[in-house]
This record gives sequence, C-alpha cells and structure tokens, in this order.
Amino acid sequence: MKTNKLIIAAAGAGKTTFIVNEALNQKEGNVLITTYTRANEEEIRKKVIEINKCIPENITIQTWFSFLLQHGVRPYQGCLFEKNIKGMILVNKQSAFRYKHRNGFSVYYKEEDTQKHYFTDTFKIYSDKLSKFVFRCNQKSDGAVIDRLSRIYSHIFIDEVQDLAGYDLELLKLLFGSDSNINMVGDPRQVTYLTHNESKFKKYRDGRIKDFIQNECKGSNCEIDEETLNLSHRNNELICSFSSKLYPNFEPCTSNQNDVTKHDGIFLLRKQDVEKYLEAYNPTQLRHSIKTEVNKSYNTLNFGDSKGLTFDRVLIYPTELFIKWIIDNNYNLKPTSRSKFYVAITRARYSVGIIYDFDSSLEIEGVKFYEPNN
Amino acid sequence: MKISRIKIENFKCFETFDLTLNDGLNILVGNNEAGKSTILEAIHLALTGLFNGRYLKNELTQYLFNNQVVAKYLYDLDQGKAAIPPYILIEIFISGEDLPSFEGNDNSEKIKECGIALKIAFDDKYQAEFEQLIKNENVKTLPIEYYNIFLTSFARENITARSIPIKSAMIDSSSNRYRNGSDIYISRIVRDNLEPEDIVDISQAHRKMRDNFMRDASIKAINEKIKQSVKISDKNVELSVELLSKNAWENSLITYLDDVPFHYIGKGEQCIVKTELALAHKKSKEASLILIEEPENHLSYSKLNQFVHSIKKHCEDKQIIISTHNSFVANKLGLDNLILLNDSKTLRLNDLKLETKSFFEKISGYDTLRLILCKKAILVEGDSDELVLQKAYMFENDGKLPIEDGIDVISVGTSFLRFLEIAEKINKLVVVVTDNDGDVEAVQKKYENYLGDKAKSHIKICFDGTVDTGDLMVGSKPFNYNTLEPKMLKVNDWQDFNTILETSFDRLDDLHKYMKQNKTACALKVFDTEEEMEFPDYIIEAIK
Repeated sequence: MKTNKLIIAAAGAGKTTFIVNEALNQKEGNVLITTYTRANEEEIRKKVIEINKCIPENITIQTWFSFLLQHGVRPYQGCLFEKNIKGMILVNKQSAFRYKHRNGFSVYYKEEDTQKHYFTDTFKIYSDKLSKFVFRCNQKSDGAVIDRLSRIYSHIFIDEVQDLAGYDLELLKLLFGSDSNINMVGDPRQVTYLTHNESKFKKYRDGRIKDFIQNECKGSNCEIDEETLNLSHRNNELICSFSSKLYPNFEPCTSNQNDVTKHDGIFLLRKQDVEKYLEAYNPTQLRHSIKTEVNKSYNTLNFGDSKGLTFDRVLIYPTELFIKWIIDNNYNLKPTSRSKFYVAITRARYSVGIIYDFDSSLEIEGVKFYEPNN
Repeated sequence: MKISRIKIENFKCFETFDLTLNDGLNILVGNNEAGKSTILEAIHLALTGLFNGRYLKNELTQYLFNNQVVAKYLYDLDQGKAAIPPYILIEIFISGEDLPSFEGNDNSEKIKECGIALKIAFDDKYQAEFEQLIKNENVKTLPIEYYNIFLTSFARENITARSIPIKSAMIDSSSNRYRNGSDIYISRIVRDNLEPEDIVDISQAHRKMRDNFMRDASIKAINEKIKQSVKISDKNVELSVELLSKNAWENSLITYLDDVPFHYIGKGEQCIVKTELALAHKKSKEASLILIEEPENHLSYSKLNQFVHSIKKHCEDKQIIISTHNSFVANKLGLDNLILLNDSKTLRLNDLKLETKSFFEKISGYDTLRLILCKKAILVEGDSDELVLQKAYMFENDGKLPIEDGIDVISVGTSFLRFLEIAEKINKLVVVVTDNDGDVEAVQKKYENYLGDKAKSHIKICFDGTVDTGDLMVGSKPFNYNTLEPKMLKVNDWQDFNTILETSFDRLDDLHKYMKQNKTACALKVFDTEEEMEFPDYIIEAIK
C-alpha cells in the first residue's frame, strides 16, 4: 500500500538523520532522496555514509533541480522543445525579461514562445521555470514523465519540503497520485529560498506547505505528523525558547540538549568586541550576503547556505530589521527575513552571538549581554 | 527486457537500416556482403562500446562510415556547398516496462520508447579548429579527429555501456582477427556471469596473490639485486605484479578447458564453449543477448548439429541473433525466425501473404534460402528446364556453370509468383523463364505486375512471344508446341537431336513425342553433349 506523509520538524530535531534512516530501511525498490540546496544534499550524502559506510546501490541522492532536469525535463522534453538543453541557470528574479515598458513595468516572454520563456540564448533552462516545464512535459506526454518516474523510484524522500513552491507543488500533487511512496520532511519556519516568482500557488508561500496539502490535495491521502520531530537535539533550551518566539503560532519546540558550557544562550555584543569574541569562542560567522563584511580568518556562511548545518557557536551579523525585532518582538518582520533569522539562530548548539551596539540600559528577556572582562 | 528493434544510419554498408527483432531466436540470412555481420557489429558496439574486440573510443576511423555518405560530404565541401559532417547512429529499442530510466522520446522516431542511442558525431567542442580547417578548404578526408562517441539513453542521459542491463556476448569463430587479446570475449562472458560479490572476491584473491608473490624470499632477493645493480635514476627499481589497472585480475587470468588454455583449443570447440557459457548466463537483474556470427565455420556437421540443438533449447529465455549463409542452420532453427537480408532490406516470412507463407512453410525451406543467398536467381518450371538453362549458360560463358557466377537456377514448379513476392520485397535480381503454353495473353496477365508499366528493374520475365501450332495429336489432345523442347527443336536442325539424344527417329513428330515422354533423360543428354546447338531467344535473353 502506498503512503504519502509530511512530517513537520523543528530545527535541530534530526530531520536528516530521520529521513536517511527511513531511506536506508527500504531494501526493496529504488529510493530517491532529494532536497533543494546543494549544501543539504551534501549533508544527506555524508549522513548516509556515516550510518551505512557507503551509499547503497538502490539509493540516489540528488538536488531537486538536478532531479527535475534528469527525470523531469530530459526524457520527454521533445514534447515541448527539441534542442539540446545545456543545463540550468539559477535566477533570483523573474526570468525571461523582454523589455521595459515605457510606463515602467517589465514585460516578459510569454509561455507561447517556448524557447524564450524557458531558456537563455545558450539553451540553459531558467531555474524558476524548471518545474513548470516538467509539469507541461507531463501534460503533453499524457503523464509519461510521472509514470516513468514512479516506476524508477518506489520511494521518494523530500527533505526541506517547505522550499518547494509554485509548480513544484503541482508536481508534488502529481507524485501523490503516482505509485511512489512520497515522504516529506520540512520545517515551515525555514523557508529561505524563494526563487519562484510564479504567481502559481502564491498563497502557499512562506512555509504553508501543510495548508497546501490540506486544501489542494484532499484526495491524496497524505498523512501529516507534527509530533515525531518536535524535539531539538541540537539547540539548548535557551536557544529553543528564543527562536520559538519568532513563530508564536507554532508549538514551541523542546530541547534534550542539556550540555552546559561556560557560554550558553543568546548574547548581544558590540562591534568593537567582535575580535575578542571571535578569539574567545571561535563561532561560525553567519551573514546576510557576501556583501556583509566579516573577519575572513574565521569560518563564514550566508544565512541561506547554513540551513541544515550544525555549529557549536554562531555569530550573527544581523540586518537592521532583525534588530528591530529583537528590541520589539511585535515588530512585523517579513516572512523571508524572519525565516532567515530563525535559521541563523537555530544553527548553534550552545551559543548565538548577535552584533549590536546596545545601550547598557537595555534589557531583553532571554538575551544576555557580552562584556569582555578587560 | 529484450531488444525489439535496431535502427542504423550511415554505418558501414548501411545508409539507413531498420530491423525488428524477435524476443527469442533471430536468424539473419543473406549473401556475402549483405551486411549480416555489420548488424551484429552494430548491436554489439552500441551495447558494449567494443568493435572487433577493442574499445572503439580511441580507434575511430573514417572506414566505419558509409562510403557514399562520406563521398557526398566531401564532394559537397569541395563544391563549396554547406555540408553537415555525417554521423553514425545506432539505436537499440528495448521492450518491456522494467527499464524505466531508459525511457523517453529522444530517438529518431520522437516516440515514447525505451532504449539507447550510440552516435559517432562531430564534437561541438572542436568547432573553432574545424572552422579553421574548412576555411583552408583542405578537407580531403572525414575530419575524424574532431569526432566523438556519444552514448545516451532515450531519456537524453549520457550513459556508459556498463550501465546497460543487457549484456551482449559476441561469438565469432569466423576469423582470427583477434589474435591479440584473443581472450577478451571469453573473459567478458565469464565476468558477465559473476555477481558483484564474486568479482570482489576474485580481485581480493588476486591482490593477496600479489602480496604473497612480493613477500616471497626469492623475489625479495631479486629485487635487492636489481636495486644494487640498476642505477637508472635515484628512484627505486623493483619487480612487481601489475595491479594498476582496475581489472588487473581479468588480464592475468585465463580460462582453461581440461587443462588446456582456452585459446589453444580448436576454433570450433571455442565457438561451442563460448556459446554454452553465454547461454548459461542467468543474472537476475540483467538480460543477455547472444550474437553468433556464422557458426557453420570451423564446425563439423555433427558439431554443428550439437550446436544448433543447444541453441534451440535455450532460445526460449535468451535472445539470440545468428548470422549464417548456411541453409542447414537456417532451416534447422526454423523458418519463422528467419530474417532475409538483401540490399539493406529485410524480410520475414510473416511479412508475406498468408498463403505464400504457408506455402514456404510446407516446402523444405532450402529453395527459399537459395533465392536469398544467390546473387541472381533464374526461376524455371522443372528439372529439365533447369538443365537446359544451365547448358545455355555454359555455352554462352565458356563452359562456366551459372552457380560459379553466383547465379542460381531454381526449379519452382508452378510457384513463380510466390518466389517473385519475396524477390520484390528484397530487391533480388530474378529472371523468370516460362513456357507460353499457347496463350501469350494468359502469361502476360499472370505476370502483369512485372511487365510493361509495372516492370521492375530487378525482375525479368522471359517467354516466347510466338505461339507455335501443328497437327500432332497426343491421344485425343493436340500436342503442346509451346514448351521448351519443341522450341529447342524449332531453332535447331531437328535431325541433329538424334545425335544428341542418341536416337534415330525418322519423323519430327516421333521425336516430339519421345522428348515429351522422357523430359529429364533428354535434358540430361542435352546437358552432357559436346555438340553445338542453338537456344531460343527467350532463353538467351534470360541468361544475359
């Protein structure tokens, strides 16, 4: 009997370990484990090897994009586009720009112009159109794309499922209806990649995957589990409760990470003390983008790339908006920023440093202030 | 998981070729040069990357390409016309639902199918160099150095031959082409029979053997000696066992049969052993395909019988493609499995009209094969006509028998049209020699599809356009003056025939009667005589 299942997980609850173990338990049939980011794909790969010494013959680990390209686009691309597709190009705004209208708005190539709508001049497919192309291929080939897929993979595991959006969700719906067992794990609080600018299913952006399944996939028999993975093995209680404040509508996660070090919890520190702090605690620096200046001699990652990773300590270079929220938790932090901040905080086992030239009189619940003893 | 179809473009003798295959046994029958081996080579190449027992990758040559296609390309270039460099395409279509990862519509038919495509084509990454070459207008041969081999599934995925779950074993006893590395086939076949864990075990054992070898006191002593005496460089020189290549064990192991190394046993025995090994292949996740080239070579009649027997036994669960020009092999293995090959065209009995098919199923099958295997066929009604035709041919060709020129004279009784149906389908050169039996119109009606407007360039119908009459009666019926014997008497002085036939009839009518009643005996006399004689025009026309 085939099953579809969505597990909502808290940060640090061991999603990857869980999904990898589930996948390794499948001895029959072929298993796909897929996820949005390369970093997480690598993490899954490492986890499989850690548990099983090698990647079993029946398990394939692939990013969502590379999976779509190989099994979604290529087999039946002929239904839409004959020329040799030379891979994919990552775009971070709506693709297929045509010209700027004199009234100021941008005009894009329509779907009818297949080549220009989906592809660059060098025949690379735009990342934001990839799943749409797959969906259309499947339509034009009478479902051959999904049929082929479901005969290749008896089990499909999707990690970080909250990252799927737009036509990805249409594909998800089709997969629910196929013979493959679809298992999804995700944390709706951690939507950091919004590369989809399609208006398709806009209302299910920002981590509303659960609503999507409940509203749009009624007949699909997808079980939703919010219990199994709500316990953080990574963050200590202090980090858990601080991060939970970002999402008051979710059940606050609990922690079973009870290690005590000399520096635990959330700390604000002044810019002038950054060097000392780095030297004292060797945290991983997390920043908004490559434009943010950091100390290059310490390990550094962008917020988005840090997803799925674990560090003992992190030092966050916050945006101004993050600070606004820290000072006033009622500040309406936009979903993307909120999510990024949540991801950044929940990377750490023991301590989270946040750079802010605070006033000595400031008091915030759950936040300590770093004062180097000089 | 079987090969259901193969398509070939521009490979060797084929410009385009398309063949549907049976799941079990397939017998390719055709004359020399018909392309039987090329089909086997193409399939084997696509499935293994091997050509003549070696990896083709670094041995691409222009000679793999169809001559006409290359000539046309070079001509066009020479004329300053835009010409696209020719490519070779071999497509293998795979039946069944159990290989979904190879499914897609990237095939020349643009249809949803499962399969692989091997393409030998110009590699775009050499665009710049090639442009320079064209500018210099100095292209006299195919620019093969800018070509590459591309192996893809119908899902547009680059694949390696290793990942194709159909393992192909080529059994070729016809030549000693493989004197170097003669064991590549047998070791492949043996290896294909092994499960992955067996292979790991073997390579471990091999490694151990090497370690023991190196640890042996005498080797140590020798290496010490070398170290002392050889001063090639400041590096250490040492004897060891080759372990570098990935499959070192394969290179140092050879197969023995009753203590005789495989390549020392007779060619015929080799052929049987290879076949038996390939037939024994039974890995669950893989299918196997056995390609056998002209098994009749090197095999005695009884061995051939044994061979055919074991093929027959296994063809239920294995796909086998055999090329042969031996009518015994073809006939024994069943006409249903025959694929007749001529001039890049193929024909199966199933492609024929139902009644034609059942006709050929009833007759022995030899005659069908004779038609396929000859260069040109002359169809006659009976044995006596056959002998006279042969004689006429010898007369015109310095005593050479027609068969020496690849021309086969076949007596077909009244079944001319059935043979013509085959000939028409495979573009076979055929001449029909028939009596007019006193009714030219009836003959013209019978062969209307091959005469006049509908004449086919490769099919010739020969008969006498004149209706002869006379008074002779045989019993109550008038004598038929329009068969070969009276026509022979008509063009010769009839009394000369008394000499030829060693008879002494005084009257022409008596000779007519005698010849009618002793057709074959007379024909034999005609065949054996050294006397000169004339032949009717339509006979001369037939042997031109």
